Amino acid sequence: MKELKFSEIVRLNNELKNTSNAYSIAILSNITVHQINPILEYALKSENIDAKCTIGDYDNIVQDSKTFSDRKLVVIFWELANLIDGFQYISNDLSSLETEQYLTRFKSEIDFVFKNLSTTSLVILNKFSTLIFNHHFSGRNNFDQLCQELNNYILKNAPANVEIVEIDRVIASVSIDKSVNFRDFYSSKNLYSIDFLKSYVGFITPIVRSVCGLSKKALILDCDNTLWNGVIGEDGMDGIIMSPSKPKGVVFREVQNIVKHLSKKGILIGLNSKNNIEDVEEVIINHPDFWLSNEQIVIKKVNWKNKAENLNEIAKELNIGIDSLVFIDDSDFEINLINEYVPEVYTIQVPKNIYTYPDMIRSKLSLFFNRGISEEDVKRVRMYKEQSERESIKSGFENMEEYLRSLQLEMTILIDEQELVPRIAQLTQKTNQFNLTTKRYTESDISNFLKSNNHSVYAFQACDKFGDFGTTGVSILEIDGDKARIDTFLMSCRILGRKIEYRFLEEIFRDLKNLNISQVEASYLSTAKNVQTKDFFESAKFNLIKENESEKQYLLNLDLIQQGEFDFIKVKNGK
Amino acid sequence: MESKVKEIMSAIFEVDILTIDNSSSPDTIEKWDSLGHMNLVTSLEDELGIIFEDHHIEEMLNFGLIMEVLKEVTSDR
Repeated sequence: MKELKFSEIVRLNNELKNTSNAYSIAILSNITVHQINPILEYALKSENIDAKCTIGDYDNIVQDSKTFSDRKLVVIFWELANLIDGFQYISNDLSSLETEQYLTRFKSEIDFVFKNLSTTSLVILNKFSTLIFNHHFSGRNNFDQLCQELNNYILKNAPANVEIVEIDRVIASVSIDKSVNFRDFYSSKNLYSIDFLKSYVGFITPIVRSVCGLSKKALILDCDNTLWNGVIGEDGMDGIIMSPSKPKGVVFREVQNIVKHLSKKGILIGLNSKNNIEDVEEVIINHPDFWLSNEQIVIKKVNWKNKAENLNEIAKELNIGIDSLVFIDDSDFEINLINEYVPEVYTIQVPKNIYTYPDMIRSKLSLFFNRGISEEDVKRVRMYKEQSERESIKSGFENMEEYLRSLQLEMTILIDEQELVPRIAQLTQKTNQFNLTTKRYTESDISNFLKSNNHSVYAFQACDKFGDFGTTGVSILEIDGDKARIDTFLMSCRILGRKIEYRFLEEIFRDLKNLNISQVEASYLSTAKNVQTKDFFESAKFNLIKENESEKQYLLNLDLIQQGEFDFIKVKNGK
Repeated sequence: MESKVKEIMSAIFEVDILTIDNSSSPDTIEKWDSLGHMNLVTSLEDELGIIFEDHHIEEMLNFGLIMEVLKEVTSDR
């Protein structure tokens, strides 16, 4: 993207036509920013997000926030210097009364915009900035003061669907001089250069990726010269270096710190290394300078097999898509091998100049960006550990049901539960595999369903004798007279294989019967990742009534449904 | 140079490269409006490594005139 010329971006973007179901974006602004349109579309299309961008009217943000509130994403360029013509100068000559009057007016405009966009899935708003006009001196003036006050107001009042961009960092990333296009600013209010817009798009892409469920979920590392300096099999416990008191070690300590931090945020950490497992275990458990705990490493493929094969197994065992893995290794050979055989994996090679290594990883952290990390993410790391214990007792049972019974599964069903809104939204955004319709919703979407009279939002929490899974399943129902339609039915892949999905349906059906509903409609919308749910509704006794390549439609007569088949899973009622 | 300019115009204005001739102008190309002109100027400067003076930008009224301006700008270097 950085290397592409603007005209090339326009051409490439036009070659990628939108489908009818594009991800709709509106850009609202009080300056001219039309050049962002092809840049943003192309950047997102390159990430497999079929983006369609519309530019609002010039300087009509408040009105436009109403007009475009139905878009999936609204991006707002609210330029402080153009709030009124020449504000960068006028603001410095205002009396305190006048300052108050302006502030009141701008704040009420901000309120209107937040209100108008309250049901929009995602809003990206830049912080106000004085950098472009005030960087020639070190002092603060009234323009800075106003800027700070408005930014505080935004930070305090922005609803959960608003993501705020630290625009000064975008400007810094290209330099102030290269960020602005004064010629076009004074002729047409076109303030920002192409270089700035390219960088800006790079800053906001992770946010969009996150709401589209495309963030990376696991970081897999090689060991020798990746987690520590040296080769454990040759240099031994005393020879490898990762101590912060040694010049070479300090870099690896910092890398381990970053990895540790990711683990605490719920990113799954794993090893993929050619070594003897005993040697590596010895380092993890007994090396005084090894900074990660054994619990933080959820999967270890330490063997002499092909690393591409190992990565495939890791994805399979963790039950996540191969394209949600990031892999770090120091060897050209291994990195090339992975790029060749599993190109879906994002690879990072440890740089030759080792002092650049920590910052290189920091520059890639946005791959894991996740809007609103919930406690569930943090729990997940522990749960994957528990999973391996469960796997080990599995083999001793005669049949599946006996095994499931022995797990003492319990679920709690919660309906229209306000507290779960962030988690429910997150599940709709991140769940790819066991997801019948793959409809992505934000917190405000879910809140709207909660308020709606003809929607019910179901969620369940599950646990077994080994531990608590937390909130791991969601279903959204639309009720219309004596009919109900399943809009969303999904489950986190970490609780697959326990028949919980069927028990969940039973409970939903019981409630629907009590509401005198006789028919349930459902559909399966196929995606690249949800093949395993293709026949789920059949297995739950629905009748297939229509089918084409991308969709299967079902109907179920509730009167004919038998209950009780899955009573080895206990159900408690929620609050 | 001429083919490079045509390539840029074809991309920016979404027109077939073969339809561009000396008289191609905002009157004959739909996307060549004031915003389109800005895109064209930015792209020419970026891709040809030049910087126009203000009067050049006003003089570039059709493809033929663009080539005239470019001759002047590049010969000054």
